[in-house]
Amino acid sequence: MKFKGGYNIRLSNRPSSEVTVSPETNTLYLPLKSRRFHFSEVHVQEGDRVQPGSVVAVDPENFGVPLLAPRAGTVSLDAAEDHIVIRNVSGEPDVEIVLDEQDHAPETVHNGEMRQKLLRLGAWQFFADAHTGALPDPFGKPRGVIVSTVQFEPFIARGSVELARRMDQFARGLEHLQRMLDYQLINVVIPETESDLGGRLREKLKGYAAIKIVLVPLRYPFDNPALIARRVGLAYDPDQPVWAIPAAGVLAIDRALTLSKPSTVRLITLGGPGVESPCHVKTIPGYPLKKLISGHETAENVRILNGGALTGDLVGSDQLGLDTECRGLTFIPETKQRELLSFMRPGTRRATYSNCFLSSILPVIPLFNTCMGGERRACISCGFCEEVCPAGIMPHYIHKLLYRDALEEAEAARMDLCVGCGLCSYVCPSKIELRSQILDARRRFQIELAEEVQ
Amino acid sequence: MKMLLETFERYRPLFTEGKFKTFKPLYEATEGFFFSHNATTADLPHVRDALDLKRFMILVVAGLAPALLVGLHFFGLRVLAMIAVSYAVGGTIEVLFAMARREEINEGFLVTGLIFPLVLPPMLPLWMVGVGVAFGVIVGKELFGGTGRNLFNPALVGRCFLAIGYPAAMSASWIKPGEGTTGRFFEYVSTNMPDAITSATPLALAKQGSLADISHLFWGNTAGSVGETSAIAVILGGVLLVATRVANWRIVLGTLGSFAILNVILHAASPETFAPTVWNLFAGGLLFGAFFMATDPATSPVTNSGKWVYAAIIGVSTLLIRSMTGYVEGVMFAILLGNIAAPLIDEVAFRVRFRRLKNEG
Repeated sequence: MKFKGGYNIRLSNRPSSEVTVSPETNTLYLPLKSRRFHFSEVHVQEGDRVQPGSVVAVDPENFGVPLLAPRAGTVSLDAAEDHIVIRNVSGEPDVEIVLDEQDHAPETVHNGEMRQKLLRLGAWQFFADAHTGALPDPFGKPRGVIVSTVQFEPFIARGSVELARRMDQFARGLEHLQRMLDYQLINVVIPETESDLGGRLREKLKGYAAIKIVLVPLRYPFDNPALIARRVGLAYDPDQPVWAIPAAGVLAIDRALTLSKPSTVRLITLGGPGVESPCHVKTIPGYPLKKLISGHETAENVRILNGGALTGDLVGSDQLGLDTECRGLTFIPETKQRELLSFMRPGTRRATYSNCFLSSILPVIPLFNTCMGGERRACISCGFCEEVCPAGIMPHYIHKLLYRDALEEAEAARMDLCVGCGLCSYVCPSKIELRSQILDARRRFQIELAEEVQ
Repeated sequence: MKMLLETFERYRPLFTEGKFKTFKPLYEATEGFFFSHNATTADLPHVRDALDLKRFMILVVAGLAPALLVGLHFFGLRVLAMIAVSYAVGGTIEVLFAMARREEINEGFLVTGLIFPLVLPPMLPLWMVGVGVAFGVIVGKELFGGTGRNLFNPALVGRCFLAIGYPAAMSASWIKPGEGTTGRFFEYVSTNMPDAITSATPLALAKQGSLADISHLFWGNTAGSVGETSAIAVILGGVLLVATRVANWRIVLGTLGSFAILNVILHAASPETFAPTVWNLFAGGLLFGAFFMATDPATSPVTNSGKWVYAAIIGVSTLLIRSMTGYVEGVMFAILLGNIAAPLIDEVAFRVRFRRLKNEG
């Protein structure tokens, strides 16, 4: 499988490689919900004093993955809904954790103690199933492992910044991982460029026996773990998960297994056209969002996304602090302007995949906002969605099948291969919600399939 | 401008829930024409491409502009009358269908309404233009479900109807091109100007054995359909469309290429039946058809490999119909043949694609 399709959206205000550290704060608001986790089982009580690395809550539906207190402080459970508030926060971020008697791994599991440590010290939550994105079983055996050092979606923390001066820790983390998996082959995804990260990583990992280097072109979404998995021959099998670990995850493995320290620091980005001085920020989960954003915002009406501009979640007004899975905040201006005869204008600053505006030939940075850009129309079979699709399917064809509810035929057209990158919806001139339609149809098909089996 | 926006806003309730609810599509189309919508994204992804269908269609209109201007120059103001009738009649039918379906009016008609007069003889009675466009829009588009769902090119369906229904008028409505720097720009050619009427289109003459000067074909001062006479005007507009990716280059290259290759071979074999290649490329509506009509995305195959096959069918059919049948021009039928074959071509290409996808992930 070669890399086909894909497209880099030229979103402005790419976060610079400069890393600022968020100033100390007195209060932390730890959200109990993040993208994959719902830490419903709270393990502390009102007024408890916690230490850095203490488990304040667990997610019982996700193998008991814990929510760790990033700093010492006093717990308040009722101050904010769906948040654990920690007051009187004090410093001391670095604490070594010794596993006590109740933290036992199942005895039959190979290298169980290592895995238990990863779970308890907050390293396991970086792991994901390459195909489904779900959290894999910490005590299971993966069919394959993919470590990714790249991140192409605008804008999320980039691997090159994560690994900037931590190459040794990264290599150590990989060694731990290899040992834990009995030297099963680990695929490490590296950008194709010769300079900087790509070259240095290749140098560093040259001698390792069980590491396979996978080179990817610098185009979104070729960092997607499902696409990489298919490329290295690890197709989707619901019974045999493929593990996907970002660079931050390998660094967390190193922290946990070499130093027995919890990973409670996060590197995130503040980026996008709606924010001034976009940069990487070293911060902690629970950091108050208002404080993080203050002094950075530009336009008054800005949409804040937890994640990238294509697949990020909307940050609701009820979220007070950074959630534990956050990897970047993207700011996109909302617009309420209605332009006269907009479609006849030359369009020197409009972002487009086609060549239909002057911006295609002028060396300008296009202006982005959350405007749909047009009205919903019928599919005209322009073929742009098929051109950008990285999974090799034909979104327009599937759309027409779904229009008459032909779920089986859509399945035969391989709608299961969709990785949800969102490029088809981005590019469609008829403003059809292709991504939502395809993912929705997939869900309905699975439900129907399950019902038939019963 | 603000006043205009406020006026629209003031009448909005009247057209959405009030007395004129049935005219909602017309109101929305007018409002949407003047002012861009500011709806923001609700589903992922949060940002979208700036291209929309209005822009897509207006670019096709821009691509047709050179051919239109040249047509005005050579054939006079009557062309404007034909365009007016085409938009008025076709537009009314579009609005009626949209009102009956309670859907929005699609922008596709901006293009169809302009292309249709450009493929007709300049002296065609205006009522025939109206009937033709009505047939084309109803049978060629609306009966199949509207823009994007049509099987045939609506302008060609209309023209085909006129060619078969009114063959005498269609073959006797050519006029001599205007001369001088302004040509017929300020002239309205009417039926009481018999000197202007001619039947000598280059292809008709070629059938009788005399070839018009190729420079006339290049610049356009020959008789012919309104928009097709000038090769340079069509090429300029067509290249704009191919550069902006509105028209697929494969179809253009495939049509002209297959036509040319077959023509070279056949002309060498039998020069009395087949005109010389470059001459044949410039004559008639081949260039116009290749750039503007064959490339219609809704009626051409969706797959890239399919597009080559489709283009080859059109190129080959055009040459054969032109040279070996009683018709002088074959592009119209060739494109319709291609339209018929397009879904089948796609089916085959899909089968190949799915077989490849089966071994994937």
